[in-house]
Amino acid sequence: MKHGFRQSMAWLHTWSGLLVGWVLFAVFLTGTVSYFRPEISLWMRPELHGAAPNPRAAEVILAELQRRAPDVPSWNIQLPTAHNPVATAFWRDRTAERGFRLIQMDPRTGGELSARGTAGGDFFYAFHFQLYSMPPLWGRWIISFCAMFMLVAIVSGIVTHRRIFADFFTFRPRKGQRSWLDGHAILAVLALPYHLMITYTGLVTLMILTMPWAIMTNFDGQRQAFNAAVFGIEQPGPRSGQAAPLTPIMPLLDEASRRWQGGQVGRITVSNPGDANATILLAQRDSERLSVSRRTVIFDGTTGAFQSAREPDAPADETRGVMYGLHIGRFGDGAVRALLFLCGLMGTAMVATGTILWAVKQRQKAGALSRPGARLVEILNVGTIAGLPIAVAVFFLANRLLPVDLPQRAEWEVRCFFIAWGIAALHPLLRRHRRAWQEQLWTGAVLFLAVPLVNAATTHSHLGATLRAGNWVLAGVDLMLLVFGVLLGATARIVGRSRPAATPNRAAEGRRAMPALAE
Amino acid sequence: MLFALALAYAGFAALCLAMERHHGEVFGSRRIPPKRRLALRLIGWTLLAASFPACVASWGWVIGPAAWCGLLTAAALPLVLLLPYAPRIAAGFAPVAPILTGLAALAARI
Repeated sequence: MKHGFRQSMAWLHTWSGLLVGWVLFAVFLTGTVSYFRPEISLWMRPELHGAAPNPRAAEVILAELQRRAPDVPSWNIQLPTAHNPVATAFWRDRTAERGFRLIQMDPRTGGELSARGTAGGDFFYAFHFQLYSMPPLWGRWIISFCAMFMLVAIVSGIVTHRRIFADFFTFRPRKGQRSWLDGHAILAVLALPYHLMITYTGLVTLMILTMPWAIMTNFDGQRQAFNAAVFGIEQPGPRSGQAAPLTPIMPLLDEASRRWQGGQVGRITVSNPGDANATILLAQRDSERLSVSRRTVIFDGTTGAFQSAREPDAPADETRGVMYGLHIGRFGDGAVRALLFLCGLMGTAMVATGTILWAVKQRQKAGALSRPGARLVEILNVGTIAGLPIAVAVFFLANRLLPVDLPQRAEWEVRCFFIAWGIAALHPLLRRHRRAWQEQLWTGAVLFLAVPLVNAATTHSHLGATLRAGNWVLAGVDLMLLVFGVLLGATARIVGRSRPAATPNRAAEGRRAMPALAE
Repeated sequence: MLFALALAYAGFAALCLAMERHHGEVFGSRRIPPKRRLALRLIGWTLLAASFPACVASWGWVIGPAAWCGLLTAAALPLVLLLPYAPRIAAGFAPVAPILTGLAALAARI
């Protein structure tokens, strides 16, 4: 290794960041998009847009389940919210395709709403921590590994950046490598609390996978016992065999709300419905608490008598809960999530500027004769940083354009995403570097701007209708897509305007500027 | 919430003007009288601190502190991006924004 502590940290920062940079970019981008997972899922199912919340939804849904599935071990119900006006019910059914049924219900009538097959926002969510199409365990291991590199890169980056406070507000545009370095540092420093938080808490969410030893020791390797103790996932008691009707649900909701000082019920689990041994478990909404550790209360299903309550009070449990909660950002109102979204985009851009900075440096060192390694980095940069947004836009377009009754429709949407990304990854092999950037950025811009238009042509919930109705959940998705399109277009213009950075003058300027960052 | 954001923006702007390079960008001279530097620093830190209770007032004690961290980021970013292109506008916005958003918040309460 090189001489001196700071130099060796700079070395560590460069390589820990570069080696996994493209995976991190993809994780950051899809993870950031996942803040709006329920909104995107709703947007992608236009058949559900007519649903509206109903204060007595729980009653309606339970009556409907009583009719449809009276003899099952349990019902799980996700109540509608302002973000998602549709109720979801889940129960085991041996006759069903995968051993369970999951249906979406209209909270006013209890009727089943059948939507087009789509992975919706869940696709981005699943991609960002297990790379979606991979075997989940492999994907999670890779992500854990990359996240650890990220943490190393952040800490070594802080050490390397010796002018954190002096350059706190400094951004010098149109100066080649200098600007990339400024941009990278600014994006990193201004959102540093977020970067540390999201990387660290991300590792915590996967800690049971990467560090299972304490659990294996303390629970004799019995995962189920651990799950029951920590997550409150318990097996229902035995059925008595005596039929008994279910107690009215509305008074229980009020009672739970009183116990939680006005907190709202988000989820209902009924075990042994229709039996004298029925129990009703109510869990508080995630959006009201920082921690995701469950706060639940259990009632007797036939008498409505209070049985037990669970408050996440053990420090380790609550710590994990708060960390998980901070990571997924389901707490708080739209404004908080918008802040998290902005920070997430800054993280995405930080990773992007980091890998671009490396390529720019290599180019200035070697002039026009770039080495194969540098060329590879450039190709990966274009294919990932400009290519992934293209794939995201294609995923949105596929959702609207694929025939609604296509078999395996949800899988086809995902295939479209990966086909688009594959093409974008190969395209820079055939083009000059700058042209490849321009072409892909313009393509991304056009595709993103096209989504709201295609939406208007294919559904009734387009911007003209949603804005007038004040439906900010759906309008917000369209508007955000427009903003992305404009941003990509602006970036493409900047790339097209600026002169090639490898002219001798600029290279010298870049080299003079370099010592500022511990070089 | 916008008021908290404006306070943080103004606080960052004051701290930024207390630095020679940015003082030079806005006022044309890199030399800052010591008294002015001290005043700018005090004002800056006070405003940043003041945005914390404003966040707690909007979001409560549970979510407020977490939101404050994100809000500081959101306040500093536009300042940094605006500074190299339009330094005077970036600085001029600092005293105006808290007054306007503060008045708006008051109006909303009445």
